[in-house]
Amino acid sequence: MSDLSRRTFLKTGACAIGGLCAGGALPESVSGQQVAAHPTLSMTLPYPRLQLATVPQLARAGGLLVSYPDPASPVRLLKLGKTAVNGVGPERDIVAFSQLCSHMGGTLDFRPETGALHCPLHYALFDPAKGGLTVIGQATDNLPQIQLEVDPQGNIFAVGVLGLIYGRQANILG
Amino acid sequence: MSSIFHGADRVPIPPRDAEQFTTVCSYCIVGCGYRVFKWPQGKEGGPLPAHNALQVDFTKQQPAQSGTWISPAMHSVVTDRDGARSHVVVLPDVGCVVNRGNHSLRGGTHGSVLYAPDRPTADRLSHPLLYRGGSQLPTTWQEAIELGAHVIKAALDKWGPDTVAMKCFDHGGGGGGFENNWAVGKFFFTGIGTQMASIHNRPAYNSEVFASADAGVAALPSAYVDAELADTVMLIGANSYETQSIYFLEHMLPNLTGVSLSKKRQLLPHEPHASGNMIIVDPRRTSTVAIAEAAAGKEHVLHLQIRNGTDMVLLNALSRLIYEQGWQDQTFIQERTSNFEAMQATNLTQDLGEAITLTGIPMEQMRQAAEWIAKPKAEAVRRRTLFLYEKGLIWGLKNYENVASVVDLALLTGNLGKPGAGCGRLGGHQEGYSRPDYPGKRPPVNVDEVAIKGGASKVFWVAGCNPAGGTLNAQQFRQALAQRTALVNQALDRASGGTMQERVAAVIDAMEQGGLFLLVQDIYPIETAKYAHVVLPAAQWGEMNLTSINGERRLRLYQKFMDPPGVAEPDWKIMAMMAQRLERLYRDTGEQDRAARFSGFNWHTDEDVFLAAAVGVKGAQEDYGETTYTMLKALGTNGVQTPVKRIEGGKPIGTVRLYEDSGRFRFIPAKWPGYPAPIKQLMKDQRYPFWVNNGRANHGWQTLYDDLRKPYVMGREPLPFVEIHPQDAMTLQITQGDLVELYNPYGSVTAMAVIVDSNRPGHVFMLFEHPKGWLNSLTTGYVDPATTIPYYKGTKAGMRRIDTLPEWQQRLTFIPTNQG
Repeated sequence: MSDLSRRTFLKTGACAIGGLCAGGALPESVSGQQVAAHPTLSMTLPYPRLQLATVPQLARAGGLLVSYPDPASPVRLLKLGKTAVNGVGPERDIVAFSQLCSHMGGTLDFRPETGALHCPLHYALFDPAKGGLTVIGQATDNLPQIQLEVDPQGNIFAVGVLGLIYGRQANILG
Repeated sequence: MSSIFHGADRVPIPPRDAEQFTTVCSYCIVGCGYRVFKWPQGKEGGPLPAHNALQVDFTKQQPAQSGTWISPAMHSVVTDRDGARSHVVVLPDVGCVVNRGNHSLRGGTHGSVLYAPDRPTADRLSHPLLYRGGSQLPTTWQEAIELGAHVIKAALDKWGPDTVAMKCFDHGGGGGGFENNWAVGKFFFTGIGTQMASIHNRPAYNSEVFASADAGVAALPSAYVDAELADTVMLIGANSYETQSIYFLEHMLPNLTGVSLSKKRQLLPHEPHASGNMIIVDPRRTSTVAIAEAAAGKEHVLHLQIRNGTDMVLLNALSRLIYEQGWQDQTFIQERTSNFEAMQATNLTQDLGEAITLTGIPMEQMRQAAEWIAKPKAEAVRRRTLFLYEKGLIWGLKNYENVASVVDLALLTGNLGKPGAGCGRLGGHQEGYSRPDYPGKRPPVNVDEVAIKGGASKVFWVAGCNPAGGTLNAQQFRQALAQRTALVNQALDRASGGTMQERVAAVIDAMEQGGLFLLVQDIYPIETAKYAHVVLPAAQWGEMNLTSINGERRLRLYQKFMDPPGVAEPDWKIMAMMAQRLERLYRDTGEQDRAARFSGFNWHTDEDVFLAAAVGVKGAQEDYGETTYTMLKALGTNGVQTPVKRIEGGKPIGTVRLYEDSGRFRFIPAKWPGYPAPIKQLMKDQRYPFWVNNGRANHGWQTLYDDLRKPYVMGREPLPFVEIHPQDAMTLQITQGDLVELYNPYGSVTAMAVIVDSNRPGHVFMLFEHPKGWLNSLTTGYVDPATTIPYYKGTKAGMRRIDTLPEWQQRLTFIPTNQG
């Protein structure tokens, strides 16, 4: 993803933490006549930079449920307690992933005892410490990982997504 | 950037006017249905339902299991021969009764393996290659066929048909199908007439289930719905979540969870029903065991952790326990079977104490299994048990009796020809077998030993398989290939720059000195092709029309939707080119009888071959009678289950399950023979303390020929894994991700350590095929003398740690897959 897209802000700026977001904050659907200019048809998607949480909020083992890049895309933010691939924060252990299984969209469950994200539909497993690597299962891609940044005050921002979120043609809905 | 692979963050939308095709997965036996969309690059559908071919609102998040989500791995941009570039999407079909929109990671990544000159598939074989000047250089079909035909003719004329050996695909799905199989069979059996034929994954031309056929039971008698209706499903030597994934997820699990109860009550209303039980016979605690437990509850799953090579001991012990309880199906035995007494005198006398010792399975578990298989579920209501077996049994110790012992158990309990019952293969590849009869005898000759290592053949044609790594005792096989093909290389080097005649003469001279002329026909430059003198580029799935059946005999048309790369051609056409050249050569020399053997290859279309191949399946489980492509096209991804009984109004009428109305069966006695000499030798030698088992894994398909071009798959498996028990790992000071070497007198191989308590201590399990480590370098040359089927699943080896590779420890995951 280019720097250009990271800097691009959508109107969704206010709808991150806890997935609480007013429907009106979503961009309106474009009409059929505007197909050619549709953002999902562009090769570089305009990812918003959204604050998801602060580092102290991540104390709980199961992490936090947030959403990104819009409220229809649930995201789990985790502090794993060990260095993770693409991890951010002082311990490089903060990661975030789409909550939707990259096989068929089952809602993933994080189990601290296995350290894996588990899908209840067809039993896929993903490793959050390894960039969402599929451990086993029928998914055709590793789990989409949210790209994070942490500022000096401990605010955690989402700035992009690696991989396609289940149920979408493009990560930014039209 | 992440060191972990992630696909694109968007896919193009198929427009309303995208071309649409139906097809079936190219990979495993389950044969999930797929839809293919193709449209010109530079064009795209709109996100609103009215503006795209899927009629989906792409401005909204789709719900789980929508059946219309296109993952990046389902998409590619392909280039046809006219230079036109098109988007192609291969999407699981929600309308297919096999998969209902579901897919495995194998089938779901077809987009990644379509030929594209700017993607990892760019190394597809696009032109014939000829050994010349020390390299393999591109050439024309004309020159490649000319050299091949002259060499084959010389071998035939000078030394006879058995000096031409082959090892070829015989399956359905990608690369196979009735069309290609028929052409291969017609060429080698009708044309050449060689006995030195062998099937892609084994050293001879044999059935993997001779015993089942002898008992009167076809390999695929049941339907997938039977797994939803059974009281008990018994998996023997199969890891179905990983290797028949969608059969397991869509048809077995709904039974274990009770989802199929309403179907049971509806279709079988006169008996009590409960959610199903599952028995899994496997030396490993696999992901299949863990997931079955998670879905059904541990009380409904019985894992029998058998010791390597003792399957028939267990199966016979179960037969005995059932018989002693009087739970056999006496009516079935009397009315539909013969030879019961012979089976009774062997299988039913299996000593139970010995069974416990040999199999390692406690009596309590055996009794539990016997109850689940055969204890009546109500007064005079028989339990319905579906027996499904695969390579653990087939490639276990003593193929013939292993298969016999499970068929005997099914016959004893009357589990054939009725809903919720059956006894058959789970399957590896799909099927699409139609060939003239093999001219050899039974047991068939061991081609690896006699023709290749032993030198009896002088020409070797390998198509659609990679025996340099995949065959048994592969290290010694590779050595024979290298030495014998080098003699031909040297002769060709000496004749460098010579005319065709001079080069043919040089090859013949080398063959007289023990040289082997090797033709390899494939879609990729596989390891075996490195030794080849002629490399022939074949078309793959999607590049021709083909037909195959799945594990419930579901016949469908796999439509062509793109061109093969370069000048690559379907296998049937390559065989036809060679046959037609040989026919002309023999006509030129006035040998009309010989010429006639190579006649009849003048097909023009894929369907011409399909129609010609119908004669080869007459009366078999695959019998498709008068079915045509037009009929199959109309039936889409659901097709028709063979045998086709008749055609009604242009529609083939098929058969859901075999033996419902008829069928008589024969018990085949099976007695455990003990371990064969080569294994006993290893067992005595303390340098080789580990039992080495092997098999497939979820993410890869067979030799990984396609997977090597899937960055998602290779990112997870840069090397083959070997599962090592924590106790053994501690003894050898091996940690996760370490590089280890396994070795025995047959060969040596390296692998990546995965430490997990899936096996018993002292037993390891390695991925069976990976170009960065061929497990079969360790297997012995032992085959069942009755069938010439190898004991691939059992060998012994020593193991040592080489070192740690830190990059893998960082990049790969070691979370166990068998804990649920």
